[in-house]
Amino acid sequence: MNPQYASLLIALPLFSAFLVPLIKRAGRKVILPYLTLVTLIQTGIAAWAFKEVYTTGQPIIVLAGGFQPPVGINLYIGHFAALFVLIIAIVSFFMAVFSMKAINVEPIDKYAMLFLLLMLGATGMIATGDIFNLFVFMEITAISAYALTGYNKTGEASEAAMKYIILGGIGSSFFLVGVALLYGSLGTLNLAQIAMLASKMNPTVAQAALALLVFGLAVEAELFPLNAWAPDAYQASPHSVTVMFSAFVVKAGLYAMVRIVYLFKDTPAFMGILNLILILGTLTVIIGELSALRQTNVKRMLAYSSIAQIGLIAVGFGVSTPQAVDAAVFHMVNHAIVKALMFLAVGYVAVTFGSPHIENFKGLGKRMPLTAFAITVGAISVIGIPLFNIFWSKFRLLLAALQVGKTGIVALILGASLVEAVYYFRLIHTIWFEGGGEKIEENLVLSIIMLLLVALIIIIGIYPETIWNIIQKAATDLYNVANYVKNVPLLGVSP
Amino acid sequence: MISVYYFGAISLILIGLYAILTKRNLLKILVGLSIMETGVNLLLISVGYVSGRTAPILTEGATPQTAVDPIPQALVLTAIVIGVATTALALTVAINLYEKYKTLDIEKIRGLRG
Repeated sequence: MNPQYASLLIALPLFSAFLVPLIKRAGRKVILPYLTLVTLIQTGIAAWAFKEVYTTGQPIIVLAGGFQPPVGINLYIGHFAALFVLIIAIVSFFMAVFSMKAINVEPIDKYAMLFLLLMLGATGMIATGDIFNLFVFMEITAISAYALTGYNKTGEASEAAMKYIILGGIGSSFFLVGVALLYGSLGTLNLAQIAMLASKMNPTVAQAALALLVFGLAVEAELFPLNAWAPDAYQASPHSVTVMFSAFVVKAGLYAMVRIVYLFKDTPAFMGILNLILILGTLTVIIGELSALRQTNVKRMLAYSSIAQIGLIAVGFGVSTPQAVDAAVFHMVNHAIVKALMFLAVGYVAVTFGSPHIENFKGLGKRMPLTAFAITVGAISVIGIPLFNIFWSKFRLLLAALQVGKTGIVALILGASLVEAVYYFRLIHTIWFEGGGEKIEENLVLSIIMLLLVALIIIIGIYPETIWNIIQKAATDLYNVANYVKNVPLLGVSP
Repeated sequence: MISVYYFGAISLILIGLYAILTKRNLLKILVGLSIMETGVNLLLISVGYVSGRTAPILTEGATPQTAVDPIPQALVLTAIVIGVATTALALTVAINLYEKYKTLDIEKIRGLRG
């Protein structure tokens, strides 16, 4: 098949989102099955792109309108993008299935549209090769995320959405100022060409532009000073949307940040920005873990835990040796799987009993054994116990930090795991050893999804080599900037 | 000597940021956000200005040598639309907040704690 068909990854969700109002005329019962179907097709296309990229070893370059970059916009679906587009599509498909159970408030057609646009925005952010196009996709993601956060129309949901809108507005303004600085000094918006010209840029301007871009993207990526919206939004948004935030919206922001910063790898501005990312990441881990300790709302606790994990990933990128980047990408994938499972299971409990408060988890082991089992596996995995997937990524992160002699980071990772152990074992204790009650019939489809994710966690935990090979290729795509530039066919520009 | 365009645009951004950080009324914060976005758009457009040239429209007698940089104009066009969309969404959320809490003071809107 022609590789240009990979543009369907963007076109399909966009077109399907526009069709939702027409589908609504056929009755509101068909909207959620339609959403499931679209996300299933998206998964198929993403799987095709994934197979194509990993068998040929060459990235898919989609040229918008046939114009060669840097005149036209190009999509760059390399090893990293192919992997993450697949993860986005699969998680979206699972969440579309979950929505049938979890979303029963009106207007359901708007929910479906925003859901598709959120998926589109995240896919675009990861696939694009143009910095302004990245901004546009980031805003698509952000605006659908604002609207989905406030979707429940309760006071809390509106409050969380308002915080997110204001912080996101400041962030996108900063980002745009950074873009203006880059464009003003280099005269190009194409990422590959920016990388090529980066060494010619005035180091002070480059540092200021990068700092602005990092701060702008830190809102989406939930790094410390700008992540105040995240726990509120996770708590107040619909359960399926929380999964999407944690599993891929954050990762798209983090990826965009790392992609842009690594373009400046060989310039004097690079080290300063890495230190900034390291400091932000470390603070994110500390604040996230300590806040998670004293939560009684389980969804909020998971939100803080999720923020802390993002901090660990950022620290990995801040160390920036090839080993550390490998480990950080591995942690990104593992965290996406585990948090999809955890938020799905907790959301299911909240749908069944009305709220995700810790009271409702008493005796869950007797009432909903399968869901309780899923939460337990997820929790044990996040702590980083051997034979589960996150053990390997945390271990690799430790090794990478030791290699460059950063003992502070080793202490940070171990300390974070210790704090995680405290609050996750408290949750597990509540689930299995307190309270009691009648057994409740669990939904078959959701049980299958949860078991699939549990199986994935354990399989990666026992046989990490297969996925490790994929991860290494994906990470090389991130830090090997020379190769990235070489792969983009720039018109009339010779390196 | 810094150009008056850059100075004005950055001042607008800072005024907007000041309003967001210090005001307690939600609507004033949103006004600050709008001012900030306007400042950013002005900054973007002044990046592409070339002294003494005209609008980049291909008409009789106009050549690429007589036009200013057209790319920032496309960027600003997009950014304006995005800004309006964000503002519209923020205002609907503000209406909803007022209905639920009967106030627009952000110190008093505190349903979420933790």
